[in-house]
Amino acid sequence: MSTNHFKRIAAVLLLFSLASMVQAKGDDFNSVVRMIEQFYGVKHEGIPFLAKAGMKAARTAARIKGGTARQIAEAGSIKLAVFEDQAFAGEFTKFRSTLNAALNESWLPLVQTLSATTAEQTYIFTREAGEKFNVLLITIEQREATVVQVNLSPKNFARLLKDPEGTGKALTEEATIIDQE
Amino acid sequence: MKSVFQTRLGALVMATFLIASAAVAARAQDSKLQLSALDHLASKASESVDVNIDERLMRLASKVFSEKDADEREIKQLVAGIKGIYVKSFEFESDGQYSAADVESIRTQLRGPGWTRLVNVTSKKEGNVEVYLLMNGEQVGGLAVLSHDDRELTVVNIVGPVDLEKLAKLEGQFGVPDLGIETAKPKTKNDEK
Repeated sequence: MSTNHFKRIAAVLLLFSLASMVQAKGDDFNSVVRMIEQFYGVKHEGIPFLAKAGMKAARTAARIKGGTARQIAEAGSIKLAVFEDQAFAGEFTKFRSTLNAALNESWLPLVQTLSATTAEQTYIFTREAGEKFNVLLITIEQREATVVQVNLSPKNFARLLKDPEGTGKALTEEATIIDQE
Repeated sequence: MKSVFQTRLGALVMATFLIASAAVAARAQDSKLQLSALDHLASKASESVDVNIDERLMRLASKVFSEKDADEREIKQLVAGIKGIYVKSFEFESDGQYSAADVESIRTQLRGPGWTRLVNVTSKKEGNVEVYLLMNGEQVGGLAVLSHDDRELTVVNIVGPVDLEKLAKLEGQFGVPDLGIETAKPKTKNDEK
């Protein structure tokens, strides 16, 4: 077998491995959704409308509503998974460890809150995405959960850093409100 | 005559030793506290908050805050040089949910070289608030606030140069809780009357 042949095979293998790395990075949203499903034994509801035409819908809604919905309108893209009326019973510290271990390499954890009283968990992870910033927000309550991934402009990312909990909550609420409209 | 393997092994051992020594030296200067010893409290706490703004996020923060906006310019100056902000806060529904050993796991680190406990700090809120500065020579290398009462335990750790004026401005931002910290103003002649 010639040296050139080996080089071609190596190049193809390299391309494959790079492609799978890109895929893995872009697929964290789905991984988190699957992780919630497996850990809690629940099933999410698909939102094809928002996944495919999310920004168009969100922009329209934002124009109508004005105000804080503009955060989403500037976001660039939204991924949303909703879990409704299902039991999220499980050791939340264990879930947190699993989640952090899975996202540790490609995301930066910003804020994590746990409440034993209300059984509510919130997680905000971020990462740079060119000129914008990816933000992954996970909220789990006793009977429902939401996973939202948005792209934020630097301006809105600054807002998130200033007030992580408040802005994170607003982003999740806006994404789900827009979905319901 | 030494074999190539022996020579390489010797070099490898020496390199490992040098790297380990450098890591230990760097650690001694580091004002980042190890807070993971408190993680087990999350399962007992009625509310727990964990804020991690590490050096990479701080770098992003310095990029995204605008120079044009006065408010953002101030924040940009505020966080300039800061290498990280870490907060762990726990609220409990009853007394005795955390132990003295939990508090001690943090205090032990704050007794290390360079850390100084400040005395000119008061809290408007009830409970104990201890503020520590890590001095690297004349420069402040980091800050830690340990706030605790019967039903609450909070640790704030700011890595990098910061002063108490900055701490007060950081309260309520970047996930830093409102600790009610006030720096004691220098006494004037009128105050002494």
